Amino acid sequence: MSTRYGMVIDLDRCTGCGACMVACAAENNVPPLPQATSRTGLTPMLVRRVSNGMEGQARREVFIPILCMHCEHETPCVSVCPQQAVELDKGTGIVMQMPQRCLGCRYCMTACPYHARYFNWWDPAWPQGMEKSLNPGVAVRMRGVVEKCNLCHARLHSAKEKAAAAGKREIDPADYVPACVEACPTAAIQFGNLADKDDPVSREAHSPDAFRFLERIGTEPKVYYKSGEAWVRALKGSVSEVEVKRG
Amino acid sequence: MNATRNTFVFGLGVAIALLAGWVIFPRALYVRQNQLLAFHHKTHAEKSGFTECGQCHALRDDGTFGGIPSSDTCTSCHSERMGASHDEAVLVDNYVKTGQEVPWLVYARQPANVWFSHAIHVQRAGLACAECHSTYGQSDEVRIYEQNRLSGYSRDIWGHSISRIRLGRHDGMKMDDCEDCHRRHHVQAGCLGCHQ
Amino acid sequence: MKITRRDVLVWGAGATAGLVFTPVPWKLLSDISIWTQNWRWIPQPTHRPVDVKGSFCTLCPNGCGIRVRMAAGWPVGVAGVRSHPISRGALCPLGFAAHQLIWHPQRLRTVRHRRSTSSWDEAHVAFAKACTEGPVVIVDGYPGHAASSLFEAFAEKQRGSYRVVSGPEAQALTPYETWSGVPATALGYDLENVRTIVSFGAPLLDGWGTPGQFTRLWAERAAGAADPDLRLIQIEPSLSRTAARAWQRSAIHPGGETALAAGIARVLLEEQLVQARGPMPPLTLAQSAEQSGLSTDAIRDLARLIVGRPPVVAIASDDNPSIAALNVLLGAVGTRGGIVQKSKHAKSHLPAESELDSVRAVLIDSSVPWDFVPQTDAEVFRFAAWDGGSSKADWLLPAPGFLEELTDIPTAPTSAIETYAIASSLVKAPPGVQSAAQFLGRVDPDLTPVDKIIHTRCEALFRARAGTLCAQETTPVAMIPSVEKLEEQLQSGAVWMGEPQHPGGLRCKLSEWPQATRSECPPCNSLGTWRAPVLPPLASKLYQESSLREGPERRNP
Repeated sequence: MSTRYGMVIDLDRCTGCGACMVACAAENNVPPLPQATSRTGLTPMLVRRVSNGMEGQARREVFIPILCMHCEHETPCVSVCPQQAVELDKGTGIVMQMPQRCLGCRYCMTACPYHARYFNWWDPAWPQGMEKSLNPGVAVRMRGVVEKCNLCHARLHSAKEKAAAAGKREIDPADYVPACVEACPTAAIQFGNLADKDDPVSREAHSPDAFRFLERIGTEPKVYYKSGEAWVRALKGSVSEVEVKRG
Repeated sequence: MNATRNTFVFGLGVAIALLAGWVIFPRALYVRQNQLLAFHHKTHAEKSGFTECGQCHALRDDGTFGGIPSSDTCTSCHSERMGASHDEAVLVDNYVKTGQEVPWLVYARQPANVWFSHAIHVQRAGLACAECHSTYGQSDEVRIYEQNRLSGYSRDIWGHSISRIRLGRHDGMKMDDCEDCHRRHHVQAGCLGCHQ
Repeated sequence: MKITRRDVLVWGAGATAGLVFTPVPWKLLSDISIWTQNWRWIPQPTHRPVDVKGSFCTLCPNGCGIRVRMAAGWPVGVAGVRSHPISRGALCPLGFAAHQLIWHPQRLRTVRHRRSTSSWDEAHVAFAKACTEGPVVIVDGYPGHAASSLFEAFAEKQRGSYRVVSGPEAQALTPYETWSGVPATALGYDLENVRTIVSFGAPLLDGWGTPGQFTRLWAERAAGAADPDLRLIQIEPSLSRTAARAWQRSAIHPGGETALAAGIARVLLEEQLVQARGPMPPLTLAQSAEQSGLSTDAIRDLARLIVGRPPVVAIASDDNPSIAALNVLLGAVGTRGGIVQKSKHAKSHLPAESELDSVRAVLIDSSVPWDFVPQTDAEVFRFAAWDGGSSKADWLLPAPGFLEELTDIPTAPTSAIETYAIASSLVKAPPGVQSAAQFLGRVDPDLTPVDKIIHTRCEALFRARAGTLCAQETTPVAMIPSVEKLEEQLQSGAVWMGEPQHPGGLRCKLSEWPQATRSECPPCNSLGTWRAPVLPPLASKLYQESSLREGPERRNP
């Protein structure tokens, strides 16, 4: 059975707390650079606060976690990279970014329709001693390369290694849980194999309330969103055209 | 006359360049360091009865590789000095008794962005240790550690010969060498299958 | 034979041609490309193996269970613990980067006396002298933990006093203490059984109570449903995150909670929507409307909505007695889904007031929020692991921080069930730090130290044979063979959970509507009850780079 890792994010459950953002940054050894701003920052998982544009009692707001959508079809970043530093893995469906191969042209950042790629404007630096808290299993990148969510590949590595040591061929799904999924206090982010019909995530992805952003451009993203509210589902036309409230 | 002299001088340049490139350059490129302590594999295997590599260089319960054993392992025999060697005295006094780790120089250390799983290669694929690490474990030789001044990696990674002509299957641990074996065995890994 | 310029050039040409046939250019190219990617100032993680240890977060009184990945003796990752009966695997956003706090640039490492470096010996001398000269006040921010017993014992022997700084969640329960005689620390909210919650500004989804406690209930029973089983009504002036996701929200004037509570109470009594017959609030409905910012019709609708799906409970963001009185009217005290008594043994504590007269010295534990500033001329000994900025303290004493000391975790303030856990020390504290408990232990060596107090508590738990131990499996305490086994389990991250108490029995006597009081409560903001003076650097960075900025109350370093 093929594997296509994907997510369903329930926007009715997301409270915008940001635990997923912090857990992602900690897992991926993102440096806490104080000079970064919302335009030069590095947030492989970013929660956006979006409203329906109205005021007063009619105003509705929703929190949307944005991460790499792991596009399945004609993946934009893969097609533009001059270095083949990013690739859609046939075995897992994960779009794999290799910062060590990247030359920093940032063409992929332009190509990504979801603005899910981030550039290392500076060399990573931590306060003295804090480098001892770096997560083994994730290499630290240097300045000048692009990075994005890799669906916590270090955790997939650990799961594979554990399975191999136990003599098994397949990993135990409970061993491979990305940091954001683990961190969410309302279990809004669900992760699983979209190709497996019995996987609950696969079923959720086909529910009538599920949608994907920018489906019309045909990238076939593997991160689905779900909401019972029609105005939220209507946001799928664009990620950046709606009012994005900052702060 | 000029032509002969020119040819001679040209030839001299070529000769000197070839000498510098093939003889002097490899010597200058690598820094030679001794391991802190002279550890003899064969002697230890005989004395402790641990004849399999995996008995000391073991896989942990979660599948991660233990690598070079920690100084706890040495404690099981060397909690006190057993012999008269100076190196053992250093081991016992500075590392076993204090619980500090011996700063071994690792010949096969890969870059930080590489993920290599011993569990998958040894347990699942059944690779023998000597395939990549040659028969170091059966010798009493303490190899010199040669480090590339520019890249910082061990000479074992590029391979012993500066020309990248491999002297055996265990010589050279660059990405090409991994890819050769993967290609031969028709095993796909994907980029992040080996990188992190 | 003279060497001419031509010779040099020809030789150079030969050398260049020859060089091409050597490995030099190719190897240099390869090595330089690696060299330029491996700058020595870019750190890489350790190669050492990772072990996972269980402990508990001590950065706020809720004490979430944490799983810490340790490598080379240092924490490299923090995650929640699914088997924790209250937090259920959740952590606040700050918890995930809490391990960075060990190396926060504002970490205190030396004793400071009025801005200049001093030493522990000097601090001891000064404190010991102060103790002989007059009463000392010990201020604690985390009442109920082992060190609290030590503080109380010290204060009693010294004839000083022991006082407590509580967070807003605990303070919201103080009016019930006044009216029932049961200590506020013995009370909690029975959220499992409630069906309507009226929150007066309490950030229930966003920094209130133990993360995971309410958010999970809300996710399962309220999120996304048009007619949810659990109705969350949020009343506050601004569109907070909780208000944005609540089922219903009402925007009121800042400070209008008192008037609104009074208005709702009046409607409930006049329209006989509740069983209670009094007390009637002094404000008329028109006055309530004017002061709260909602129309009289809106207040009537709100009152009817509130009782539409019982049981209902009102949750305040501070110690406002009007909201507590509303709960009494709603019958939410001592009933299922309301405010319940979880413990028969909890103690009541004196609150720390900022006015401290006629004391010789004040010792403030590191668990007290940085913004607690005592208004006093007495000598202030302030323990803290991090420097929060300008401080009135005469002595700034470096205390152990996250994961650095053995302590225990009493029941969280909002929980309806008693719990107990032991937070093991997973990391060696840096040299030169000392906790307030250790400091007092040196002044008075007869005091029982923290580890003995914890052991005594484990023994009591074991002897009582009540409750269950929650770890990978749940085991009734009655089935645990020895106190050593119990303590060992607790030390590795298990949680003791008590038996749910019968809600009935808690009675509040309320003869007249309470007067509004000025609250000295700290603001209830999205950072909840976080006690450290600083944020983890990753959290600060993310708040800067995303739209999730926090309020101005907390310093973002």
